[in-house]
Amino acid sequence: MSTWNYVVTAHKPTAVSHSCVGNFTSPHELNLIIAKCTRIEIHLLTPQGLQPMLDVPIYGRIATLELFRPHGETQDFLFIATERYKFCVLQWDVETSELVTRAMGDVSDRIGRPTDNGQIGIIDPDCRLIGLHLYDGLFKVIPFDNKGQLKEAFNIRLEELQVLDIKFLYGCSKPTIVVLYQDNKDARHVKTYEVVLKEKDFIEGPWSQNNLDNGASLLIPVPMPLGGVIIIGEETIVYCSATAFKAIPIKPSLMRAYGRVDADGSRYLLGDNSGCLNLLVITHERERVTGLKMEFLGETSAASTISYLDNAFVYVGSNYGDSQLVKLNLQPDAKGSYVEVLESYVNLGPIVDFCVVDLERQGQGQVVTCSGAFKDGSLRIVRNGIGINEQASVELQGIKGLWSLRSSTDDIYDTFLVVSFISETRILAMNTDDELEETEIEGFDSQTQTLFCGDAVHNQLVQVTANAVRLVSSSSRQLLHQWVAPTGFSINVATANATQVLLATGGGKLVYLEIGDGKLTEVKHVTLEYEISCLDINPIGQNSNYSTLAAVGMWTDISVRIFSLPGLDPLTIERLGGEIIPRSVLLCTFEGVPYLLCALGDGHLFSFLLNINTGELSDRKKISLGTQPITLRTFSSKNTTHVFAASDRPTVIYSSNKKQLYSNVNLKEVSHMCPFNSAAFPDSLALAKEGELTIGTIDDIQKLHIRTVPLGEHARRISHQEQSRTLAICSLKISQNATDETEMHFVRLFDDQTFEMISTYALDTYECACSILSCSFADDTNAYYCVGTAYVLPEENEPSKGRILVFMVEDGKLQLIAEKETKGAVYSLNSFNGKLLAAINQKIQLYKWMLRDESSRELQSECGHHGHILALYVQTRGDFIVVGDLMKSISLLIYKHEEGAIEELARDYSANWMTAVEILDDDVFVGAENNYNLFTVRKNSEAATDEERGRLEVVGEYHLGEFVNRFRHGSLVMRLPADSDSDTGPIPTVIFGTVNGAIGVIASLPRDHYVFLERLQGCLVKVIRGVGGLSHEQWRSFYNEKRTSDARNFIDGDLIESFLDLSRGRMEEVSKTMGVAVEELCKKVEELTRLH
Amino acid sequence: MGGASTAKGGSAASSRPSDSNLSAAAAAEAPGPSKYLRGLPSRGLFSSTVISSNPGSMRVWVCEHDTSPPEDQIIKTNTTNILIRALQLSKQRGDPSEKKDVKTRSTVEGNKNKRSSERTSDVSTTAKRAKMTNESASTRLGESSSGPSEIDFQGLTVERLRALLKERSLSVRGRKDELIARLKEGEGDDKEEPKR
Repeated sequence: MSTWNYVVTAHKPTAVSHSCVGNFTSPHELNLIIAKCTRIEIHLLTPQGLQPMLDVPIYGRIATLELFRPHGETQDFLFIATERYKFCVLQWDVETSELVTRAMGDVSDRIGRPTDNGQIGIIDPDCRLIGLHLYDGLFKVIPFDNKGQLKEAFNIRLEELQVLDIKFLYGCSKPTIVVLYQDNKDARHVKTYEVVLKEKDFIEGPWSQNNLDNGASLLIPVPMPLGGVIIIGEETIVYCSATAFKAIPIKPSLMRAYGRVDADGSRYLLGDNSGCLNLLVITHERERVTGLKMEFLGETSAASTISYLDNAFVYVGSNYGDSQLVKLNLQPDAKGSYVEVLESYVNLGPIVDFCVVDLERQGQGQVVTCSGAFKDGSLRIVRNGIGINEQASVELQGIKGLWSLRSSTDDIYDTFLVVSFISETRILAMNTDDELEETEIEGFDSQTQTLFCGDAVHNQLVQVTANAVRLVSSSSRQLLHQWVAPTGFSINVATANATQVLLATGGGKLVYLEIGDGKLTEVKHVTLEYEISCLDINPIGQNSNYSTLAAVGMWTDISVRIFSLPGLDPLTIERLGGEIIPRSVLLCTFEGVPYLLCALGDGHLFSFLLNINTGELSDRKKISLGTQPITLRTFSSKNTTHVFAASDRPTVIYSSNKKQLYSNVNLKEVSHMCPFNSAAFPDSLALAKEGELTIGTIDDIQKLHIRTVPLGEHARRISHQEQSRTLAICSLKISQNATDETEMHFVRLFDDQTFEMISTYALDTYECACSILSCSFADDTNAYYCVGTAYVLPEENEPSKGRILVFMVEDGKLQLIAEKETKGAVYSLNSFNGKLLAAINQKIQLYKWMLRDESSRELQSECGHHGHILALYVQTRGDFIVVGDLMKSISLLIYKHEEGAIEELARDYSANWMTAVEILDDDVFVGAENNYNLFTVRKNSEAATDEERGRLEVVGEYHLGEFVNRFRHGSLVMRLPADSDSDTGPIPTVIFGTVNGAIGVIASLPRDHYVFLERLQGCLVKVIRGVGGLSHEQWRSFYNEKRTSDARNFIDGDLIESFLDLSRGRMEEVSKTMGVAVEELCKKVEELTRLH
Repeated sequence: MGGASTAKGGSAASSRPSDSNLSAAAAAEAPGPSKYLRGLPSRGLFSSTVISSNPGSMRVWVCEHDTSPPEDQIIKTNTTNILIRALQLSKQRGDPSEKKDVKTRSTVEGNKNKRSSERTSDVSTTAKRAKMTNESASTRLGESSSGPSEIDFQGLTVERLRALLKERSLSVRGRKDELIARLKEGEGDDKEEPKR
């Protein structure tokens, strides 16, 4: 049963709706604050650029974000209002580095019609009151008292019902608002009102202006000394104040965002819906405005918010494309643009559609999204894990070890690559043409396998073979000194750093040598009771050349031991349990915290916190990375050290927020790895895999990796075809010529490896693609792409004509095989019992794929089902059909083979406006609706009466706070063979994509697991408080215009997973109330984090 | 989808005044945006030649401390119906016309001064009667319009009188009679009209 669900964000929302700049974190620091739907990000402006500070989750969808400074304060406060009518005022406490809630409250009214044009929240420039326009005809005022405290709010009746924008005017003795509104004849006007706090009422303001541009949509208040307001229209820009009126015509455009440049308000940046960035200048003589000037600067992403930062740098936030950091240059570049894009911040939003594919065929899902809108449209390949970008590779069989060497101690680049085989050692070096060629180091023994090789102090190299440790000069390449193993004993394992060598010979002998200038000195040796399987002396203390600790893994008692150096005194013995010997140990630090990692022969990894002074081990954790022995090595990328675990499932271990994270690498099997930072291949890794030596660079170390394929047009539907290794998308291109805009729709074919566009099919004029499916039919082995379309004619309310097009991929081209006309828009296509199931306007229609004559085939209508408003989303399973209706929630249909008919079995009688549906299992279906809620319904087949059986029972409800466009079965992570420690088996998951660019996962949990997590959630709510005093319970409660009810049968995974970010003390608090040990809780939660 | 609430880029804290003189620069130079892009405000940030902005690895805030606001800062909305509130306010004030139209009143103040003072004696009774009989606002409105200043002051609460005094930046101390006297005095001074 999939009734119990766990919802978690795999990729946070990235669409930027608001931004502002001010002194938030300190009186002397300037911050950029960005709102991304349910999160705010705080950045610090520094001479070097933007420095990220904090990512703050908010229990609400942010409707307005404003910085303001009450009288007598030295820092700005942050005002946030959410779409569910909560607000809070936050202050950054410099001393404790905490976000303090200065005020909060509920600004909802029992009656009132929510505004159509979005909520408006504004603050008087003189900080006398906060104004909110949330309901038509009402203006809510939250007054400040003279100490900057907020007082009881009240409503004022606002005569204007269709308000487009409201702003406070500067420099007015009484707080004055300017209202841009539309009257009942659709003409637009502005009007001013003074807010009289004592009377709690408006009085007519100093001026008004009637009959503005019909597209006027944005007001910009101008600070003193100029005062007044700029009204941005589609074709004109008007400056208006009590004394002046100036207007200029502009090229027709829809301005969406503005940013003030100068404090005196004489220059503004304006961004329109096509991404043009303009500079608006108010020319003035002293305080008298003489005119307006508008200059085109260049192109950016379509802006939703613009913030001027400093020194000609501007932040452009976007809903539709990547947000950008741009610089305004005094001189235009070659293309005549004054805008230089310095940085792009990835935004997946809006995710209109996506598909889950296994492009690299490794059993790991990747999500390919249709992201961005209009000119910022793109495909994004989202993959969990880290990519290796191959630079060079050679075929080499049987590699047993890999090391890189420098040609002198202070060389920054590696020169040699030592490759060890079972009975020889070869040395590769970069030649002058930057090619790898075989070379020789005379002092090395190349007739035998190398156990270890490395750089040492005083321009020396160390090679350890089975019978000797050789010290070689890196300049003369001659042998300087060697230490020979005692007769009868051969060296089994060895390791070294710049000044020390530790090796183990048969019989459990552990030998410690130190490296001098041209000399190896045996300092100490001890005999242990068992054979030694692995060892490490990676320096992690102050001295980067010398380690005071040695880690040793043992046969027989399966333990890992810590010894002190140089004395080889035993400090700690940790028994690992089980029968699998440790194969690799590693001392390392993550974010300054020392760890001991120990990998077993069966792909498990232990991790311990290490006390560097006493050698004590604590906080033991065990996870499974693969099934084969693991070799651990450190490497650095972007000045941070990470650990590479080479095995059949290569993994990079890194740390973020003091949490250890494991990301798999997109390679099948890696037996050995070493960092190889050469002049020709900087920051690269050398990897031994499947008879091949590869040199490649590694992606940025982060959990999700996103690749962008820009399209320049709006992708709306996507489908993947395994057989032809292609992706097909439906896209829309708006081409603009001098007079008008034309919309053209296309079906385009892409190669699924290179993402090159290989074929295009243009649809008819007015024809718009609504659905796409890759499928095959009964008695036909070919794979087809089916595309459902609609003719969207300007005079029709609902399309009355559409087509189903059947394409085949032949020689990389889309070939139209068959087409079928329909009586409406084909909103959805599904493969169903070897037939094609289409949702056409209010009807579900089933088509057979029939032979027309010898060679050609056609779609023939078989049966259908009426009774929907618009059947927008359809999913099938077996003979069952689940339909998500425009406004009638979910219904369940069944196809009866004998009768050849489709009948309704049951429906949910709530009035939910659906945005996506998916089948979780035979009985439970999940739906998303347009008030950002998720809900599950259950088939009631065991019920006693027909009436009850005909009703889909709502079993789960949850406020996601995101608009879901698509659900798909699948997973972003590699499914490991059932973990020996968790008996849960694979957890079924559904991925969803949202308008704000978030990707989430719904995991269906077993009941006891769910109950446990529900209890944990209950405890966490008490420990992790909502920022601004907002309540988690209220935030997650199901909410639409009609009703609000508590969340049930859904768990907030984001809250659960933040357990791992808690301080130890808080974790213990939770553990106490739960009655479960902290380690156990951590382990359970970490398991869940591996779902995404 | 809530997109209409527009961006607020301009709420930045006060920066150093821009040293560009736009109108002067505009006259001198060639056309194109260059001249307008001169002298963009700078506070020394983003000044390094290499701007590196790493958007990744941002610390996620986990709020472990108490986030409830100070007790009196949990803001609720006044639930009184707007119409009823307006009536209550006008009742409190005694005369809705008084506030609405300060200017008009002050112009006629001089003429009415005399008559008002004549009526002083029966003011208190009028006010009391108004309270006792609970006359509707409209009747009182008619009545008070005939003699605004004096009756107004008597009909107002001490708090309200103090507010009025404060507005005129006069001392707010003393008993009600003193307050009224001071108000009247102040009014006279304000207008600088001959008292008679």
